[in-house]
Amino acid sequence: MTEKIRHSRFFLWFIQVLRVCGRELLLVFRDSGVVIFFLLLNAAYPVLYALIYNPEVVRDEPVVVVDDNRTAMSRDLIRRMDATQEVAIKGYAANMEEARDAMFRKDCYGIIYVPRDFAQCIERGEQGHVSLYCDMSVMMRYKALFTALTNVTQAMGGDRLAATVEPVLNMSGSIIESRQVPIGNSAMGIASAVLLFILPLVLQQSMILGIAMLHGGSIERRRRNCGRDPMAIEAGVGATILGKMMCHQIIYVIPVIYVLHYVPLMFGFPQNGNILQVMCLAVPFIIAVSLMGQTLQAFVNERESVFLLFVFSSVVFVFLTGASWPRYLMSPLWWVVGDCVPATWMSNAYVLMQSDGATLAQVSHHYLMMWIQVPVMFVLAYMVERFVNRRRYRSWIAASESNPSALTRIDLAKNGVG
Amino acid sequence: MVLKYIGRSFKRGCIQLVRRPMYFLLIVIMPLLCCWFLMDLIKPGSVQRVPVGIVDLDNSIMSRQVSRTLGGFQQVNITRRYNNFAEARDAVQRGEVYGFFLIPDNLEEHALGGRQPVVSYYVNYAYYAPASMQYKGFKTMSLLANGAIVQTALRTVGVPNEKIAAALQPYQTHVHMPGNPFINYNYYLNSTFVPCFLSLFILLVTAFSLGMELKSGLSSQWLKTSGNSMFLALIGKLVPQTVLFTAVGWFIQWMMYRCYDFPLNCNPWNMLIAMFLLVVANQSFAVLMYCFVPNFRYGTMLCTLLGMVSFSFAGFSLPQEAMYPWVEALGFVVPIKYYFLIMVDQALNGIDLYYSRFYYAALIGFTILPMLLSWRLKKECLNPVYVP
Repeated sequence: MTEKIRHSRFFLWFIQVLRVCGRELLLVFRDSGVVIFFLLLNAAYPVLYALIYNPEVVRDEPVVVVDDNRTAMSRDLIRRMDATQEVAIKGYAANMEEARDAMFRKDCYGIIYVPRDFAQCIERGEQGHVSLYCDMSVMMRYKALFTALTNVTQAMGGDRLAATVEPVLNMSGSIIESRQVPIGNSAMGIASAVLLFILPLVLQQSMILGIAMLHGGSIERRRRNCGRDPMAIEAGVGATILGKMMCHQIIYVIPVIYVLHYVPLMFGFPQNGNILQVMCLAVPFIIAVSLMGQTLQAFVNERESVFLLFVFSSVVFVFLTGASWPRYLMSPLWWVVGDCVPATWMSNAYVLMQSDGATLAQVSHHYLMMWIQVPVMFVLAYMVERFVNRRRYRSWIAASESNPSALTRIDLAKNGVG
Repeated sequence: MVLKYIGRSFKRGCIQLVRRPMYFLLIVIMPLLCCWFLMDLIKPGSVQRVPVGIVDLDNSIMSRQVSRTLGGFQQVNITRRYNNFAEARDAVQRGEVYGFFLIPDNLEEHALGGRQPVVSYYVNYAYYAPASMQYKGFKTMSLLANGAIVQTALRTVGVPNEKIAAALQPYQTHVHMPGNPFINYNYYLNSTFVPCFLSLFILLVTAFSLGMELKSGLSSQWLKTSGNSMFLALIGKLVPQTVLFTAVGWFIQWMMYRCYDFPLNCNPWNMLIAMFLLVVANQSFAVLMYCFVPNFRYGTMLCTLLGMVSFSFAGFSLPQEAMYPWVEALGFVVPIKYYFLIMVDQALNGIDLYYSRFYYAALIGFTILPMLLSWRLKKECLNPVYVP
């Protein structure tokens, strides 16, 4: 019986897969460049990003006041503004000219202007006006100043409304109370919102970079050795792809747990997801990414061109996930492009799980879409390996047989020699 | 003699540029593609019609009025109605809606009885931009609902109309947003992100083209063509790229300021010159990194890392004064920061050139810096070592 199994085609094929996997592991750990991508990048990059965004919210934005009214009421307004979390009153300016100069010198990012008749209007029972001039270079600044002014004027307005209404209506004027309940990211911080999107993306990009760099190394070996890679295992196309994929799975166990579980833990980002379910979610993701990397590697001709070809795509992918611009507003083109990227599904599902405490069942759509990507990516990787890479190797071998220096000469010509 | 060396070096640089299609791809195609991607993605300009749900537990005339009014708002779009809190929460967890408005039962009864019912809005802040918009919409709605009731009540007891407006909103605020009065997200994000993309490409391409000389072992020959002068060798290699990148940069600016009508409140030359300086400063920055670490892998990695992280620490999204001081300081290390500050001063705010003088100077400073350290690169070029 065992003899029969040992000679069965499946068994031989499986042995090939394992051999490819073993060789790939060897190649990874011999290549410090790839180790940097697979391990160091995953270890350091999320921490760096988290540290940049860790302040989470804008506090004490410097603002200058031009108070032409100079009454108790205007001073009260300014004091209340200063007391908010968002604003710090930097000082008074004599007039708008002076205030503008301070803003141009970046001593302040906003100007509050209280006109001459501010308090008088209100005491007369008319509306009092107050203006805010806001630096528009960064949206969070505008949002902070705007929120602070709205909250302060509404609070003061509420007091006055009560004073007007109480004598006639016998109540405070606030009939329907309202309250905001921030869910998901209850600190309302930018780090907790953006970082959770970025974490799965770091995994995806580091893996693609590493895979492409490995492939670049193999291409370079082939170019030096007349089209043959002495380190490669002779195996079928499917076995090669699956073997490599298996290797990536093994290596990524630790980065996945670290990035998706320990990084949020370290920085106190929302962690409402069940860790086991998050890991289940990561399985199709890592498989799809490995296959995607093996598809994209066809563009790489040198080890170092991975920097040029894939690094910038991270920013594109971040936008496609909908981290800063919501997906429902994207045009159908970008919507579909985003759908093709495993990280889009992973990031959104991960955010829903970690922030909103969704279960795997609730993000089953995302989970399913990643599983659908797996066979699609496999077919793509298969076609690339079979019809692009292998055909290319054969033509190189053929070219080198007639002229052994043909490949190196092409290389030299590219570098501007000859 | 010098001219001859420059000519030879220049020719070599051009040949290298032409023979590798990847350069064309990364200098021309990709920056334009990324630019188009970002501008096309954010074309609507502001986040509108956020899909939200509503839970109406009261189902009275008043609560229906509230939900109808809310449906008319531009900020939110009521896509679903839920029967209870649990259903709505489930929809948020599934990612179907970004938040919901909860009207408690007995809203009408309590409101008319003066018992202050509480309407709540649950906003999913995991999605930052839609959350801010929802907050605006929900908040306005709850104020309006309150205002409407008080207005009716005051009118019944005979308070004149003009007094009612003043009573309801005694303090009227006017927010002025110079440069971007529509709070257009496209103006805000892309006038910084697109140049940042371009500078990432400049860093990468410069680093790669320098590294290839070291890797191929042809760097000593490269020096020889330019008469053993590192400066001339760099000029010959980088000037063809400068020309292309500047042309692409100007084309992008033309797209931003002419096609998409981004705010341009200054003399266009101020921005054109800033773009040229940005290109040269970034190239010099990459050379400087190679002077520090004359090694293909680490030199490129350093450029890549700084190019990528500069999207964050240059202070486009989280303002610099809110960052940790060391992150804020790091921001001033990369050229894009100065371009950003120039853009804010000149194109957005249109203020006097005097206020931006240091930023222009800094960009020029980047260009001079590598000249002081180029001896290190030269040493490496004479004895290139390639570590894979």
